[in-house]
Amino acid sequence: MASELTTESYINHHLTNLTCGKTPSGWTCDPYKVEQMGFWAFHVDSLIWSVLLGGIFITVFKMAMPKNLDSSSAPKGTQNFVEMCIEFVEDNVQSLFGSAKNPLIAPLALTVFVWILLMNLMDLVPVDFLPVLAGHIAFELFGYNEATGAGVAWIKGPESLYFKVVPTTDPNITLGMAFAVFVLTIYYSITVKGLKAFIAELTLHPFGKWLMPVNFVLEMVNFIAKPISLGLRLFGNLYAGEMIFILIALMLFFSSIPIGIMGFGLHLVWALFHILIVALQAFIFMALTIAYLAMAHETEEH
Amino acid sequence: MNINATLIAQAVVMIVFVAICWRYIYPPILAVMQEREKKISDGLEAAKKADDSLEEAKLAFDKELDQAKIEAAEILEKANARATKIVSDASTKAEAEAEKIMTSASTAIENETNKAKEELRQQMSDIIIDTTQKILGDEISKEKHQEILKKAAEEL
Repeated sequence: MASELTTESYINHHLTNLTCGKTPSGWTCDPYKVEQMGFWAFHVDSLIWSVLLGGIFITVFKMAMPKNLDSSSAPKGTQNFVEMCIEFVEDNVQSLFGSAKNPLIAPLALTVFVWILLMNLMDLVPVDFLPVLAGHIAFELFGYNEATGAGVAWIKGPESLYFKVVPTTDPNITLGMAFAVFVLTIYYSITVKGLKAFIAELTLHPFGKWLMPVNFVLEMVNFIAKPISLGLRLFGNLYAGEMIFILIALMLFFSSIPIGIMGFGLHLVWALFHILIVALQAFIFMALTIAYLAMAHETEEH
Repeated sequence: MNINATLIAQAVVMIVFVAICWRYIYPPILAVMQEREKKISDGLEAAKKADDSLEEAKLAFDKELDQAKIEAAEILEKANARATKIVSDASTKAEAEAEKIMTSASTAIENETNKAKEELRQQMSDIIIDTTQKILGDEISKEKHQEILKKAAEEL
């Protein structure tokens, strides 16, 4: 594989996931057999980080509260932070969701916000740290030894392991979350409005009942576009940010010293700017999630 | 950028995390926060009430104080009046006493004067008799002219 480091191979290496799946010859994570895996393949790196960061979220929020919850003692330390987050989410749910009461919305919004924020923040870890580290660890543990034939055949060196650390730069992750929100939207549309009203909403607008098929096509586009735009917006923003980090990193490795120094400055500036995107995209995803679910709770009044 | 089963896995993972948060994380924290909020607002309300009652107490206190001042003034006035009365009574009494004393003194003086006058008269008559005796010799004796002498003494 990448025996010599070129710009192209460097970028490709950073944009490829560690993919595991079933091939005709059994389960493998060999990057050269991704084509044979078909749909039932998993981006293991994205999933590991996503679960890990979700676990961090749950643990921090669970640990932050004192053992015997007591409203008469003043909150301190992490508890303050946790309560701040909850208050922020609660405010947003209040303003976006309005009167309809659903106890699931606020926890959903909190999870989505904190989790996506954490996943986005992985973007600020310098692009080579974790992939190279993971590559070396994998090579040490499972590296292929030509003399003895031990180890995993496709790990021929530290760089044969692909490893992406920002889950939100993987469209599967963002669309997966959008898909979960979509499922919830449909569920609440049906349970709150009733199946009849839900179908009516999709078929009787905007042209009245004589043009039902046209209505359905138009409304369906509208309906499907929501989760797709929700997922792709987050993916696009983070992917672009990651891409720029990779290009800046390239300035350091493949250019002359002055450009390398400039790269350091650029990296700093872009990282600072990216903090904004990280928080903003997490917020937007949360706000839209609440908004879509609010729509699902709205009873007919067009 | 291939879409694969990761999408489904992530959706499942998300539902699991949301369920955990919904079941175990969010409600207890929110409950504590709301309870604390209620406690704080209750405390503030109690403080406001206490403030009001303090104000009331102050008003009552002022009223009482005014009343007490008026009463004190009244008492003072009464006392003053009484003192004046006592003083005037005492002085009246003293005046009467003084008059009494004066009267008795003047009576005594009169008595004394009369007594002295009587004595003087006696002495005078003695001297006159003595002198007359010396002049007239023994012509006139006390015993012989007792009657005359008595008359003379009475005339004096």
